Amino acid sequence: MKDAVAAQQQAEELASRLPPLLVAAERVAATVAQGVHGRRRVGQGEAFWQFRQYEPGDSLQRVDWRQTGKRDRVFIRETEWEAAQTVWIWRDSSASMRYRSSRTLPEKQERADLLALGLMALLMRGGERVGMIGSGLPPGSGRAALSRFAQAMQNIKDETGLPSAMPLPRHADVVLVGDFLSPLSDVDRTVRAIAGHGVKGHIVQVLDPAEEDLPFSGRVRFEGLEADGVAVIPRVESVRTDYRSLVAAHVSGLRDIARAVGWSFMTHRTDRPAQAALLALFVAMSQTRGVSR
Amino acid sequence: MSTLFTSFAFLQPWWLVALAALPILYWLLRVTPPAPRRTRFPAVQLLLALQPKEETPAQTPLWLLLLRLLIAALVILALAHPLANPGARLAGNGPLVLVVDDGWAAARNWPARQAAIADLLDRAEREERPVAILTTAPTITGEPPRMSRLMRASEAKALAAALAPKPWPVDRSAALAALRGVSFPAQASIAYLSDGIDDGHAFAFLEQLQHIGAVQLVADAPEVLPRLLLPPTNDAGSLVVTAVRAVPGEPAVATLRATADDGRLLAREELRWAAGEVNATARIVLPTELRNRITRLDIEGESSTSTVVLLDERWRRRPVGLVSGGSVEASQPLLADTYYLERALNPFSEVRSGNIQDLLKRELAVIVLADVGKLADADRDALDQWVRRGGVVVRFAGARMAEGADDFVPVPIRGGGGRAFGGAMTWAQPVALAPFEPGSPFAGLQVPDDVRVTRQVLAEPTLELSSHTWARLADGTPLVTAAKRDEGWLVLVHTTASPSWSTLAMSGLFVEMLQRLVDLSQGVAGQAPDAMLPPLTTLDGFGRLQSPPPAAIALSGAEFDRATPSPRTPPGYYGTETARRALNLTGTVRSLQVLADLPTGIERSAYRGAREVDFRPWLLSLGLILALADLLVSLALRGVWLRRAATGAIVVLALFGALPAGAQTPAAPPTGNAGTDDAAALFATLTTRFAYVRTGVSEIDDVSRLGLTGLGNVLSRRTAVDPGPPVEIDPEQDELGFYPLIYWPIVPQAPQPSAQAIGRVGEYLRNGGMILFDTREGEAGPNIRGAASARLREILRQINLAPLAPVPEDHVLTKAFYLISEFPGRWTGSPVWVELGDGRVNDGVSSVVIGAHDWAAAWAIDESGRPIFATVPGGEAQREMAIRFGVNLVMYALTGNYKADQVHVEAILERLQR
Repeated sequence: MKDAVAAQQQAEELASRLPPLLVAAERVAATVAQGVHGRRRVGQGEAFWQFRQYEPGDSLQRVDWRQTGKRDRVFIRETEWEAAQTVWIWRDSSASMRYRSSRTLPEKQERADLLALGLMALLMRGGERVGMIGSGLPPGSGRAALSRFAQAMQNIKDETGLPSAMPLPRHADVVLVGDFLSPLSDVDRTVRAIAGHGVKGHIVQVLDPAEEDLPFSGRVRFEGLEADGVAVIPRVESVRTDYRSLVAAHVSGLRDIARAVGWSFMTHRTDRPAQAALLALFVAMSQTRGVSR
Repeated sequence: MSTLFTSFAFLQPWWLVALAALPILYWLLRVTPPAPRRTRFPAVQLLLALQPKEETPAQTPLWLLLLRLLIAALVILALAHPLANPGARLAGNGPLVLVVDDGWAAARNWPARQAAIADLLDRAEREERPVAILTTAPTITGEPPRMSRLMRASEAKALAAALAPKPWPVDRSAALAALRGVSFPAQASIAYLSDGIDDGHAFAFLEQLQHIGAVQLVADAPEVLPRLLLPPTNDAGSLVVTAVRAVPGEPAVATLRATADDGRLLAREELRWAAGEVNATARIVLPTELRNRITRLDIEGESSTSTVVLLDERWRRRPVGLVSGGSVEASQPLLADTYYLERALNPFSEVRSGNIQDLLKRELAVIVLADVGKLADADRDALDQWVRRGGVVVRFAGARMAEGADDFVPVPIRGGGGRAFGGAMTWAQPVALAPFEPGSPFAGLQVPDDVRVTRQVLAEPTLELSSHTWARLADGTPLVTAAKRDEGWLVLVHTTASPSWSTLAMSGLFVEMLQRLVDLSQGVAGQAPDAMLPPLTTLDGFGRLQSPPPAAIALSGAEFDRATPSPRTPPGYYGTETARRALNLTGTVRSLQVLADLPTGIERSAYRGAREVDFRPWLLSLGLILALADLLVSLALRGVWLRRAATGAIVVLALFGALPAGAQTPAAPPTGNAGTDDAAALFATLTTRFAYVRTGVSEIDDVSRLGLTGLGNVLSRRTAVDPGPPVEIDPEQDELGFYPLIYWPIVPQAPQPSAQAIGRVGEYLRNGGMILFDTREGEAGPNIRGAASARLREILRQINLAPLAPVPEDHVLTKAFYLISEFPGRWTGSPVWVELGDGRVNDGVSSVVIGAHDWAAAWAIDESGRPIFATVPGGEAQREMAIRFGVNLVMYALTGNYKADQVHVEAILERLQR
């Protein structure tokens, strides 16, 4: 419980430093208002959509008298249909995430949780509805929902390392946060399954600097965290370059998978500040909104 | 440390061959790969996908290799058993005989002897030889030296640890006797630890030792040979001390110390030996009173009996007072009595002249009255008192006494001018002195043949006359009579102290007689020669005074001067506490003879300061520590970290209680009698503090305290005033003057202050204090009927104040810090009253401010800094005004009328108009 509260407080603190989506709208598409995404069709809302002629059956309250006064016909003011969007967030909770290479760095799990919760807090502040894949909770917006999700994060025990398939409504956003060290074929299959629902997605890969750089030296015996084997390398310095190229290949493979379904992809190292990742994620989320409607 | 290692040796050097194996060890360690370091890693699958090339595995780091080689080297060295300063092997195959000189001469360098003994016993233990010990000085129980039985080295160590130098000389002839008949089956190895001083028997002793085995003589270097400090001599006001060293050589310096009975240092002088000189002298010059307190002379830094001289009465200088009856001193000094007396007394006493009253004020041992005829009554009584207390008065007769004496004489004097010999009217010749009787203090003095008495004063023949007589003329007439009065003596010499009546004054006998008379003053010379003097405290071998050893016996006075120190008569103090005599070693041992004449075949060496040092245990322990370190390092390299202590080991320092928490407990003023305690005063005045008067109602006191605390916080934040926590005071007891501003909430429940308290309050106000009276009712004025106002009127009636009026518009209170026009507190609406005096008294500053607005409640804050009470009716704006009033009031109290200065008016007006 205390971890949940602490995680939540930390996430909110992080989120408070970044401008809410309303302020960031100056930089992203100008049509995006706080909490409201125009559906580009007529409906309930505040943003102006169009004027059209009065037809019998329309409510008289909707008559725009100024326009009517200018012309000789009666006009109705119509607004755009606004509906809050749901963002679904998934974060990796497998054993490979509970790793850190030095005491000064946070565990990958902690960083992924922080990114997920921070994103949730910001989206909720912006009025969006947020749901968490794998928690079993319905989507919500507001502080109560945030604390429920933070609580649920502590309790999820999913060791697979990939999001499970679940039905998602169209026009939702999906954010996947994890280390994606599973084989590329598994990742591909999962992504395509989710993308098949017609949702826009963002993948954030969280890695520890040691996993990218392999800073060890000498004779080292590497033991996997998910009982996936033991590697004894007699002289680590000699395999370092090969390893780094392998890691780069894996990352680019993930990037290809995301691009294939039109999703965005970003990597994050735990020794970089979390705000940078959050900001980049925002930019990515704001941009893709305009792209694939 | 480097001077210790004069030589180095290995006991088992063939172990050092193993050092050649170290390079092989190095190559082995280098070739073997170290155990792999274990670590967790999530992306193991990627690593498994790598194709590891065949490579030489990682190697142990070089420094770890070197550490392991170092451990191996240390172990090999330890096995080879290295030694520093190794001693030579003991000669012969028989036992080791240790002959130790433990007389007084061994005390100076005793630690080196102990080290040498320990070394020899270590070697004997190593070579497994039995040991016998022979000491050459008589034992403390008085037995002559005897060789101990053969024992093992470990037992001998215990015996050797109990050896100590004795304060008497060695007796080599007795030791020689002990050696006769001693022989061992194999040739013994003899180590003779001598003191370097020859007493005449050393050659024979060494020859006898050579019969038993090979002798190695160890003696001190000539500079370290013991020194003697001879008993001092009196020399006209100073003590002259001589010190003797054994060998003339380089110039040397030593410091002589003179200490009193209680250990206090009275004098320090330098003893300098010139090059080639054996004697050195020093002179101690001190005022007589200090000189008489010296009981011990020694040389600083040397703890041995030969450098300690104990002093007793014989070295005391007794002050003697001289009273003269006549006045011929100036014109014809050689005819004056006092001249001869001074010349006679000076060598051994200090002479002071004067009249009787002056002399009696000083500390004197003897008063000599030279031809004083009749004493004044007052003088006579004073002298009588003095004598009865223990003084000695010696009266000399003369012309004035012959005319008429008083009764301050030991025996009645026959009047009439005395008796004359050899004058025109007599038939007798001048008479010589008879030899002194054994019972008189002059017994033993030689009477010169040429002393003649020409004229004398006669005593009345009474029955006790002969018992009072100490000296007679040849025909039996008393010359010196004396009577004991209580503690002291009254002595009359029936002739003059000048040569006018006798030639005694010009003889040496005069000096000796006077000396005996002066000695009489402390009761020393009165001792019969055969009185036994038991030992009081004696010196041990190191020159320290302690209780006498069991063999010490009492000495008689006659034997005392001839006694040599021995177990029966150790040097020290003998007699009783009040009358003691000192027996010094250097009284009989007055010169040193160096041990130089040795029989052939004896090797001689000096005492070394350094002992053998065995390195083996050190090397082994160092190797063990390094091996432990190596173990820890290997574990660390493999990644098996010892978990560090949890963060629960963080210690939280509870120092924050030192900060004044403000709203917490009030600073308690130390109660004292009217605040006269220094600590209380410092506490109250080291920071600016405001005080509030205790009412006895705890809620109101709390509010006062919290209010002043809140005001203090505001002041700290907004102004330069930084007050400390407020102080609760009681005008009955506490000192008011420490506080520049006192807040007094008037409540009817509080006890009426006594007249004395009101007096103190009045004095406080007169001396520049300021009190804020707060009736807390909401309305203040002379006609208000509330109980609190009535109480306030009661109090104020007894204090002298200038006329009170509501605060005028241009009063300093309105502009002291903030520009305010009203002074709300918790309530508002009623005027605030101040004294309106003229500018002459207290610079026009009002010493009281009276109101009813309950300001403390407006200022009061709780621990979190939030106000407690609501201000009515103005809300927070009114509270802000109340705070401003408080700040103005404090500024008014601390700075007075500064803001009333006309200089600031323009600026103030400008601000008012803005």
